[in-house]
Amino acid sequence: MPEALLQFLVIPLVKIVVILGVVLLVVAYATFAERKILGYMQVRLGPNRVGPKGWLQPVADGMKLLVKEDLVPDGAERLVFMLAPCLIMAPALLVFSVIPFAPPTDLFGLLPEPIAPYVADINIAILFILGISSVGVYGVILGGWSSNNKFSLMGGLRSAAQLISYEVPMGFAVVAVLLMARSLSLVDIVEAQRGFGFLTWFIFPGILAFGIYFICGVAETNRNPFDLPEAESELVAGFHTEYSGMKFALFFMAEYTNMTVVSSLAVIMFFGGWLSPIPGDDVVPGFLWFSAKVALFLFAYIWFRATFPRYRFDQLMQVGWKWLLPLSLANVLVIGLGILVFRNLLKG
Amino acid sequence: MSLADFFARLIPTDLFTGLGVTGGYLFRKKETIQYPEQRMRPKDRFRGMFGYDENRCIVCHLCAKACPIDIIHIADHDERDPETNKKKKVMDRYDIDVKRCMFCGLCSEACPTTPKSIWLSTLTYETATYERNTELYFTKDRLMSWEGVQAFPGVPSPAQGQSPDDPLGRKPTQPSSATGEGAASGQGAG
Repeated sequence: MPEALLQFLVIPLVKIVVILGVVLLVVAYATFAERKILGYMQVRLGPNRVGPKGWLQPVADGMKLLVKEDLVPDGAERLVFMLAPCLIMAPALLVFSVIPFAPPTDLFGLLPEPIAPYVADINIAILFILGISSVGVYGVILGGWSSNNKFSLMGGLRSAAQLISYEVPMGFAVVAVLLMARSLSLVDIVEAQRGFGFLTWFIFPGILAFGIYFICGVAETNRNPFDLPEAESELVAGFHTEYSGMKFALFFMAEYTNMTVVSSLAVIMFFGGWLSPIPGDDVVPGFLWFSAKVALFLFAYIWFRATFPRYRFDQLMQVGWKWLLPLSLANVLVIGLGILVFRNLLKG
Repeated sequence: MSLADFFARLIPTDLFTGLGVTGGYLFRKKETIQYPEQRMRPKDRFRGMFGYDENRCIVCHLCAKACPIDIIHIADHDERDPETNKKKKVMDRYDIDVKRCMFCGLCSEACPTTPKSIWLSTLTYETATYERNTELYFTKDRLMSWEGVQAFPGVPSPAQGQSPDDPLGRKPTQPSSATGEGAASGQGAG
């Protein structure tokens, strides 16, 4: 096989297949974990009938959604209606092409030379992620609009307003990390946190940035307490009211994929990515550390859902514009000043 | 508001209190009863399936009169005891149309015997059937033998010694209810 073919086609394809498979598996079991944990927090058992302890529940759900009738409502804008689920799912999966799950590895000596277990390490990864993941809002708006349903339209509009409001403080929170790492590449950001175990992670200087980032992340993924676009109690199901079968499944999976993206980014930017929290530890593979940290964040998402009631829409806007935006701006200033002073102290 | 209060408000401690509450519930004992495998024991006074004891019943018709929807059908005739030449009521029929019953328990309240001859505190609630006109129409014999009734586990049928103050039939059976000659000795209780 020619070297170039291997380098540019086969290896990336294998990586993409593996990453997509793992991500979709994580998404499937995130839905199961959500139902199980929500159940436990509500003092009940959750699904436990399909397979041992309910572990085959995602398979059963997937089969059900695949064979369900695929309805397109009368008066719906057919093309856009079909397009919307793809528009929300594709960007969510695309983002995983730049997320570094682990350092370059030779798979315990199986490969002749180490291979990076991520598709690409581009030097503008953060910008790429922020840009691509914002495309997802088109799926929400178009899905809401094309359904020809007032609840869907309300959900879509709310989603647009919410995503725009929370993108801004999120961007500023990310800027604080970029100041500390001096790079937009996610691999560089992780490597900048290498040092003395968990003590050199960005969470300590960037605790406020982390708080702002994660709040905005929860809002961006339309999760409780910011789930206004699909508020069951007022909008039926918001923008995906009219969707059924596999189209609904795509919306559903996109939500969990986005949760995984936000969690992965939080881990990479503030919790050292694949780095071990124990100083000098290189026994546990980086991939396991990364997975464990992401799992904790996904758990936090579900925990929030079990705990917090939904914001009212004006409260949501107030939190976004009146609190998070000024806080994140101040945070950028403080971190920038801190870095300036710190670097000058080191020099002098 | 002092400055300290203002900054204290900035730290959302109540959010973490809430998270602590739900996090604590994560490890609580779960309330779910896995129904077909586990069964909830109802409270002692729960009104479920009828219990009826023909040997205690004095055929006074009070239960039938108390019934607000008249689903207790009693028929009797008088017979003279050839030895003592005394009149005696002999029951021909004691039917309850359970499908129309609303489980108000007024029949049980009206019953003058001690213990009651008709009672609902049998702990047995799985009375659903596939055929309501025949399977939910209980004649005297079926009321005692509980044929076709899925009794609460451990609960004997009235024919097997259940009584209102002792639904599990654990006390030594009293003479009045021990000999169920008039009743078909069915094996309905399971």
